[in-house]
Amino acid sequence: MSVESATAIQRNQVDLLDFVDWSGVECLNQNSSHSLVNALKQGYREDEGLHLESDADEQLLIYIPFTQVIKLHSFLMKGPEDEGPKTVKLFANKEHMGFSNVSDFPPSDSAVLSLDNLKGKPFTVKYVKFQSVRSLTIFIEDNQCGGDVTKVQKIVLYGTTVETTDMKALKKIEDH
Amino acid sequence: MVLEATMICIDNSEWMRNGDYTPTRFQAQADAVNLICGAKTQSNPENTVGVLTMAGKGVRVLVTPTSDLGKILACMHGLEIGGEMNLAAGIQVAQLALKHRQNKKQQQRIIVFAGSPVKYDKKVLETIGRKLKKNSVALDIVDFGEGDDGKPEKLEALLSAVNNNDSSHIIHVPPGPNALSDVLISTPVFTGDGEGGSGFAAAAAAAAAAGGVSGFDFGVDPNLDPELALALRVSMEEERARQEAAAKRAAEEAARQEKGGEQPSNSQDTTMTEHKTITAPEAENKKNDLMDDETALLEQALAMSMDDPRTSNSMGDTDMSEATTEDQDLAFALQMSVQDNPKDSASQTEMNKVLGDQSFVSSILASLPGVDPNDPSVKDLLASLQGQSEAEQKNDDKPPNEDK
Repeated sequence: MSVESATAIQRNQVDLLDFVDWSGVECLNQNSSHSLVNALKQGYREDEGLHLESDADEQLLIYIPFTQVIKLHSFLMKGPEDEGPKTVKLFANKEHMGFSNVSDFPPSDSAVLSLDNLKGKPFTVKYVKFQSVRSLTIFIEDNQCGGDVTKVQKIVLYGTTVETTDMKALKKIEDH
Repeated sequence: MVLEATMICIDNSEWMRNGDYTPTRFQAQADAVNLICGAKTQSNPENTVGVLTMAGKGVRVLVTPTSDLGKILACMHGLEIGGEMNLAAGIQVAQLALKHRQNKKQQQRIIVFAGSPVKYDKKVLETIGRKLKKNSVALDIVDFGEGDDGKPEKLEALLSAVNNNDSSHIIHVPPGPNALSDVLISTPVFTGDGEGGSGFAAAAAAAAAAGGVSGFDFGVDPNLDPELALALRVSMEEERARQEAAAKRAAEEAARQEKGGEQPSNSQDTTMTEHKTITAPEAENKKNDLMDDETALLEQALAMSMDDPRTSNSMGDTDMSEATTEDQDLAFALQMSVQDNPKDSASQTEMNKVLGDQSFVSSILASLPGVDPNDPSVKDLLASLQGQSEAEQKNDDKPPNEDK
């Protein structure tokens, strides 16, 4: 397994982008012209001109399912200094959350991002809480300046996989 | 065909007793609700629809989102009119009901019938709208009934707060002779943003038009009754083909009068067998096949008649015999027609005589009590005879100056 992050060297941590189940990825309250794809997908997230933007207010709720069970080590969230996210809450293995039930149960981890984080320093999560993660929900509660719009330029997740069968990769054995 | 869960909010307040929509506002609303439920479930079988009332004793969910149309229609019965409409509470309860839908993959939509005055102010409505947008819930508003107190503006403000990419709509329906449902059919509420639903909407439009302006050829909707529509179309074509043939024949007869007297009789015989063809078969499929055969045969016969009257006649007979080997009556009639032209049979070549005999033979075989025409051995025999006749037909197709 190779090292991905440039700023902090993590041993054996990979970019979990390859294990994201794109068919189930959802984002609530995103602006349709600045959608989650801009922040998450390879190529889009490197583009400085493309970012994820919130719509009706500053909160964002991102749901990312994985094709395999993974362990999450850290994440990286890049954004502009003022409109970038500040308080971020992570929920592991909770499906189809809405803004109304984010406060119903405690998050698996919560982070207050500093400007360093927004420039590219990954945030290390409580590893013990993310040992067997099938899906991740990221709740961005507010942003740095307190305005109505939150912008996220890039989201990267770092971790490792647990050996799980990827059902899609299963192939039928040919009859001889 | 978008997968959707819909909650319909019905206004059953006192204002619905008014009769400015026929028969009453409430009845017009109920009809519209029924049509919407049908349209949604038809555009995608996995769609679900739920209903709640906003007035009466309070907001009450009559049926949670379900794809069972019967349940929805049943709950519309026995609804009582009274009280005041609570728009904000209604929308919020609808949102809650949608949140707890069984299939999380469905898009969420609320349809509100706002018939009575709206007592909430713009700010409250806009907050509600933004909350709906945040949770990606689309909203359709039907503004009818009372139209004062700045109600249209309030509802427009609500819509602009909710609207995301034109997925939400507002329809203002003024009172008038047109039923509420008729006005709604052509709107995005039914047509679902331009896709899906339109087939049902068209069908409903045809039904509702009550024979007035119908978009379909025969007053029968292909969606509702495809077999009937098909049967009507086929009979129209058949009638048209027959009339064309009659017209051509009349022209031919006028032309042939100069050539000889036998020609009209030949064509009359063709007509006779033609009529028999029409009356004898009962099954539609068989009818269709014969229609196709007959039209093709007629055209062939007429085309040939331009070149050589005699050859065409024999061709017509040959084709007829092949096409109708199964039917006893037809074979018999053909045999009769062959016998009715002694002059022609005399002028026919030997091969054609065999053919004439073949039709006779097959009719004999069919009429025999012990012989089943569908028996494989009989069929093989007929096929071999037909094979000969087909080879000869190909010879006939070549220019008439050929020796046989």
